[in-house]
Amino acid sequence: MKMRNILLTVMCSALLVLSGCTKKQDANEKVLNIVSPAEIKGYDPIQADDLYSGREISKIYEGLLQYHWLKMPYELVPNLAESLPEISKDGITYTFKLRKGVKFQDDIAFAGAKGREVEASDFVYSIKRLADSRNQATGWWVLDGKLKGLNEWREKNSKLAATNYDEEVEGVKALDKYTLQFKLAKKFPQFLYSLAMPFTYVVAKEVVAKYGKEFINHPIGTGPYILPIFDQGKKITYVKNPTFREKFYPSEASDEFKNLLSDAGKKLPLVEKVVVHVMVEPQPAWLKLNKGEIDYYSVPKDNFATAIKNNKLSDELVKKGFILEIAPQLDVTYTAFNFENKLFHNKKLRQAMYLAFDEAKSNTLFFNNTAFPAQSIIPPGIAGNIKDYKNPYKGLKLEEAKKMLAEAGYPGGKGLPEIKYDIPDSTPSRQAGEFFQKQMEQIGIKLKVVSSPWPEFQAKVKKKSVEIFGLAWGADYPDAENFLQLFYGPNKSPGANGSNYDNPQFNKEFVEATTMLDSPERTAKYEKLNKFLAEEVVALFGVHRQAYILEHGWLKNYHPTDLHHDAIQYLNIDTAKKAQLLKNF
Amino acid sequence: MSTEVKQSKSLLHSALLKVISEKLSLIALIIVGIYFLVAILTSAGILASDWNKEVGASYMPPSSSIIFGTDIFGRSVFQKVVKATETAVAIGIVVSCISILIGTTMGMIAGYFGGFIDELIVWFYTTFSSIPSIMLLVAIAFILGKGTMTVFLSLGVTSWVGLCRIVRAEVMKHKEREYVHAANAIGATHSRKLIKHILPNISHLLIINFTQTFDAAVKSEVILSFLGLGVVGRPSWGTMIDDSKLELSRGVWWQLAAATLAMFVIVLAFNILGDALRDALDPKLKGK
Amino acid sequence: MNLYLYIFRRLLYVIPVLFGVCLVIFVLFNLVAPDPAYTLLGKHATIQQINELHHELGMDKPFIVQYLDTVKTAFTFDFGYSWASKQNIWDMIKAGAGPSLSITGPLYILSSLLSISLALLVAYFRGKFIDKFVLVLSIVGLSIPSLAIILFGQWFFAYKLGWFEISGYENGFPNFIPYVILPIILYVFIFFGGDTRFYRAVILDEAYQDYVRTARSKGLSEYKVMFKHVLKNSMIPILTNLIIQIPSLILGLLLAETFFSIPGLGAMVVKAINNSDFPVIKAMTILSAFGFILFNVLTDVLYTVVDPRMKLK
Repeated sequence: MKMRNILLTVMCSALLVLSGCTKKQDANEKVLNIVSPAEIKGYDPIQADDLYSGREISKIYEGLLQYHWLKMPYELVPNLAESLPEISKDGITYTFKLRKGVKFQDDIAFAGAKGREVEASDFVYSIKRLADSRNQATGWWVLDGKLKGLNEWREKNSKLAATNYDEEVEGVKALDKYTLQFKLAKKFPQFLYSLAMPFTYVVAKEVVAKYGKEFINHPIGTGPYILPIFDQGKKITYVKNPTFREKFYPSEASDEFKNLLSDAGKKLPLVEKVVVHVMVEPQPAWLKLNKGEIDYYSVPKDNFATAIKNNKLSDELVKKGFILEIAPQLDVTYTAFNFENKLFHNKKLRQAMYLAFDEAKSNTLFFNNTAFPAQSIIPPGIAGNIKDYKNPYKGLKLEEAKKMLAEAGYPGGKGLPEIKYDIPDSTPSRQAGEFFQKQMEQIGIKLKVVSSPWPEFQAKVKKKSVEIFGLAWGADYPDAENFLQLFYGPNKSPGANGSNYDNPQFNKEFVEATTMLDSPERTAKYEKLNKFLAEEVVALFGVHRQAYILEHGWLKNYHPTDLHHDAIQYLNIDTAKKAQLLKNF
Repeated sequence: MSTEVKQSKSLLHSALLKVISEKLSLIALIIVGIYFLVAILTSAGILASDWNKEVGASYMPPSSSIIFGTDIFGRSVFQKVVKATETAVAIGIVVSCISILIGTTMGMIAGYFGGFIDELIVWFYTTFSSIPSIMLLVAIAFILGKGTMTVFLSLGVTSWVGLCRIVRAEVMKHKEREYVHAANAIGATHSRKLIKHILPNISHLLIINFTQTFDAAVKSEVILSFLGLGVVGRPSWGTMIDDSKLELSRGVWWQLAAATLAMFVIVLAFNILGDALRDALDPKLKGK
Repeated sequence: MNLYLYIFRRLLYVIPVLFGVCLVIFVLFNLVAPDPAYTLLGKHATIQQINELHHELGMDKPFIVQYLDTVKTAFTFDFGYSWASKQNIWDMIKAGAGPSLSITGPLYILSSLLSISLALLVAYFRGKFIDKFVLVLSIVGLSIPSLAIILFGQWFFAYKLGWFEISGYENGFPNFIPYVILPIILYVFIFFGGDTRFYRAVILDEAYQDYVRTARSKGLSEYKVMFKHVLKNSMIPILTNLIIQIPSLILGLLLAETFFSIPGLGAMVVKAINNSDFPVIKAMTILSAFGFILFNVLTDVLYTVVDPRMKLK
């Protein structure tokens, strides 16, 4: 029987080959097809520490705040909160009024299988859930030490048999059904950003209780889309949430987005269905984009040369109606030193290495010359980045590098041990590693490139068993604090400060700056710290990358962005245009 | 007592003669010889010593002056292919040796002593071979970190089971032969009997196994490179092919072509040679 | 000894081997593998969180307890939950088996048929041009990296010619068919070389046995010799090879599943390796080891049933 089935399959396949195996797509349906270039780990907001899971979670769950879709630089606006909070004079107490009538999506976990209204206590529960040590939340760091009494609650409950969610915590309280109050342990203006991050999205305790360990596959939020069940597949299909509240497309925009206002005032979300294709390899995604089966996708590094010339699309792509979107990303690539190793305390050595590195060439080889050379750690677009600043130690200045190396005590590299250079094991990083090795050879520094699988690489950094290593950092929120903390002593490994840099003066000024409210004085302080790190050459800062995204002519309202996890609800498809453009394919 | 040994020597001798006398296998032998020679010359620094030098712009297509074009850093792909021969031959030899050493030792001990030791070794290799080798490869790379040593060990350690089985069965047969009994009679020690008497009589198995393991190892290096566990710091055909995963979409095919061609020729030669040797050495197939 | 007792005895052998497999797994993943806590906790981990996670995952238990846990897993098949996705591993395996088998199943049948027929053909014409031609062709197939074949095939057949879907998958028969044809065709090309060479060797081995020579000397035609005697007798090693390949079908195709976005077990293993998701890796290792042992026993039994010359040991 089984054999017969298989034979049947084979025969049908043969028939299908003859008749052509591809499915025709229907241009009239309002479906958005997008790519996730990484596997989705699951739908638990408190575990959303990678960008791609965060984006999926944000289709279903929501938080108090969000970033305005059409404003740059990033601007926080209320989402589930009715308005921005009232902040006490001392900067410690934040009081939110909640939007009324926001409902959880319908699910059997609720009484009568109807989603109930969201209350302030749901936020209190969600915050505690993030703090509960039993949940091993990857997002705990955003609140670690930030809210009054929350760390103590976490500590205490980790020793009990079960976590007691009823015990009140001073730092997060529901004053009434629609009033939520946070009390900070110390001044921390960046706190508001954490309320726009997936970690603090609101979940319902009934749903958590109902699904237990399987909660991660049964997302029930308040957001614009629903996903009945997540089956870890490679294709995730969302449909519009029928009980979604009245939320409208923004009608204000900063200048560069004025052209995205044609849907202003329309009820969100704008498309009926969203299909996310998980495609880790660039080739299939690129081919699907070119067939019109995907609505937008970033131009793969190695298709760049054929797709784009002088920042213009090739004729073939223009004919198909493609539009190129270019946007700077809030990130920085860098080569870090492990400061636990005394060798790297030699500042002149670090400077010599930086001077010997040919940034321009690396940009051409690895980024098709699209990235901005990083002079310091803070990327453009974030206060603290110094416009037109040139790092005096940034290469390529070969003669100076050689001189500096001699001054460091290692003329021509003599006396230097072979230095291990750790990289994760992808093909591009192996090539980048080889390039760096060749660069250092020019001044006589011998490197040994060690590449490891990502988990092993990460473990090595966290265990401080590396010498120098290559990394990139993407912003969690648009504040310089998120970058400067990479060199803040108390964040040493296993924290985010993988270089284990620890300078008391820097630490002190860092704390001062990050507890200040946004102001010209704070920006000046950020700039000072930024410049300090740059000239100390605490790491060899590489580039700030730019996103090059290709979108089809029928996609409306799209712009590339790092932090708008919830972008999908604003996107729209022009079905008439799609039908017309598809004829040219 | 020494008649068996002599016979096997003459078997090897005649096998070699046979291989040489056939045109196709002679060519294969010469090709293998050339690869080995190239490997020796590159490791001595006579050939392709400046493979790391830039000879032109990045990704130059093949031309009359740069026969296989250039790679991302503008290095000559031809030089890299030549330099990579050293890596490939080293991997082939070291891996075959590791696999032969483990396989033969274990197989001989198991087959000769029998009983509990045999059971133990059989249990050991059954266990070993029932774990998918991809998992073992990944795990070994986790433990040792990466690099040439990892490639040697992980391939060597995962390829000895087949030989071990054959050797064990063959030694069991030989144990009962007259010449071993004769050696018994004059009071030879176990190790003497195993090494001096039995080993020469099963050596043809090792030679056949060498040719098989060699080309399997060369090919597996490519798979390891896909997994990001390949050789670091010097060119290998595997990493060149892995590079081309990205390069193909920009139309850079020459690095893939050059490395594949180099690999294809030696794999083909080893296969022909292996077939010829097997035909010549395996008494069962004699008189074809 | 009767047959059933023999089968029973052979089956019992699964137990010590499974213990051995557990030992290897334990040594690899509990003793020497990198600490998974760093990967699981993300970029902002604290020492306290790492300790808590170690406790949660049972990594602070004595080694002997951890080993016994592994053994228990292997014998109860209770694999627990994935560390990365927090899913029940059995559910993950069940979900992934279908897609994997929808490729490996037809692929297995097609490539076996093709390589056995080719092997017969070249064994019949051994030494002739066609033999050498197939030899070269098989080695071409063997030495072109499978990645290159996939990249080219996907670009040419699916994109340029538009004959197949570029990537994706839909569950259920016959919905999955459009998605699996191209990977199957490409892998037939990747696999046939090695198999053809193996079967050719097996058939030739048999072709030079004494009884075949006798048959030939009796004046039987080469055609008859080939099919009546040689094929019949080389059936056992061929069948063994066929059966022994079955457990590996479940592992899926690591590369193809990634490139064609097929949600199978191969893709699951790759994901688990990238995430240090040890329970999933352990589960797949145990399952495939178990399958391997079981099918090994099966071939042994088959030998004894088919070939009365084999002694029951």
